[in-house]
Amino acid sequence: MSQLKLAILCCHYTNEATAQDVADIPAEVVIKRFPCSGRIEVVDILRALEEDAGAVLVAGCEKGSCHNNTGSLRAEKRVEAARKILEEIGLSPERVQMAFVPRLDTGALVEAAKRTFETLLEISAKGETSS
Amino acid sequence: MIIAERKPIKRILQMIEPFERIAVIGCRGCVAICSAGGDREVEILAAALRLARKRQGRPLKTVEDTFVRQCDPEYLTPLGELKEKVEAVVSLACGVGVNLAADLFPDLKIYPGVDTSFYGANPALGEWEEKCRGCGDCIIDFTGGLCPIARCAKNLLNGPCGGSQNGKCEIRPEVPCVWHQIYERLKARGELEKLSQIFPAKNWIPAGHGGPRERKRPDLQMNSQK
Repeated sequence: MSQLKLAILCCHYTNEATAQDVADIPAEVVIKRFPCSGRIEVVDILRALEEDAGAVLVAGCEKGSCHNNTGSLRAEKRVEAARKILEEIGLSPERVQMAFVPRLDTGALVEAAKRTFETLLEISAKGETSS
Repeated sequence: MIIAERKPIKRILQMIEPFERIAVIGCRGCVAICSAGGDREVEILAAALRLARKRQGRPLKTVEDTFVRQCDPEYLTPLGELKEKVEAVVSLACGVGVNLAADLFPDLKIYPGVDTSFYGANPALGEWEEKCRGCGDCIIDFTGGLCPIARCAKNLLNGPCGGSQNGKCEIRPEVPCVWHQIYERLKARGELEKLSQIFPAKNWIPAGHGGPRERKRPDLQMNSQK
């Protein structure tokens, strides 16, 4: 079985995670940063899945702490939209997860990534493949 | 503007089932404004189609573009070249755009990616409401600017009906009775006398019941092909 891949799309200000921080997760983890999670579009999530990620974690600032005010709330809406599209094409919507994490708290982001990976394992155990 | 909504992706997948290379073409007119068929929706739909087909083991290649408008022949000319490069086109324009492209390029396999719904306004982000039916015989000078054809479930010309309760329509409690609104509006304007006339049965020919409608301005026509 080829290695699972997890994509993390996150706001610059939520964490300073490096490959070392997510090394405990037995998957290929790709971190893509955006100036604000509100800049993460539905298509970014879909493209991550197209590029063989089995699951995508979108991480933004805790509600009320986004310095663009509504960035992470917008990201949450985009996650909902991406999930609906996955449902339409027969993929588990749980492949896309949203996490609100404290600003510059790498630990919280890594924990969210681990939970997303566990979700991916559960989906894979059901025999659902994304590609 | 014309309001549209993306068709279910499964339906679009059925349309393009035989093809391996398609174009997804948006329109920067009404459908872009109502977030159904602009640049963003083109890239989302193309990615979703590719993802779905990849999962089926039948990869799909997509060309993505968005035209200024699809309801004017001059902006559709790129389809002439595009049809040599792809097997089919999914258009996210309203039905007008798809029809015009089909008229101009009879050998082009073009499919609709949206359902064209109504003429509407955008009262708030992410919300669209029908305001006009395009009936071709506007009477809203008598009704305080509010259209009973588009906004009354029964298209009544002499409302309200018996289903109007406390200013709401019987179809859904959140829908205002437009005839109640018309009455209140005209009363506030001191124009209630406009309701003293009984509207006769409407002539629906201008609404399209006499066949496809046309409008011509001879002072603008230079190179008419008809």
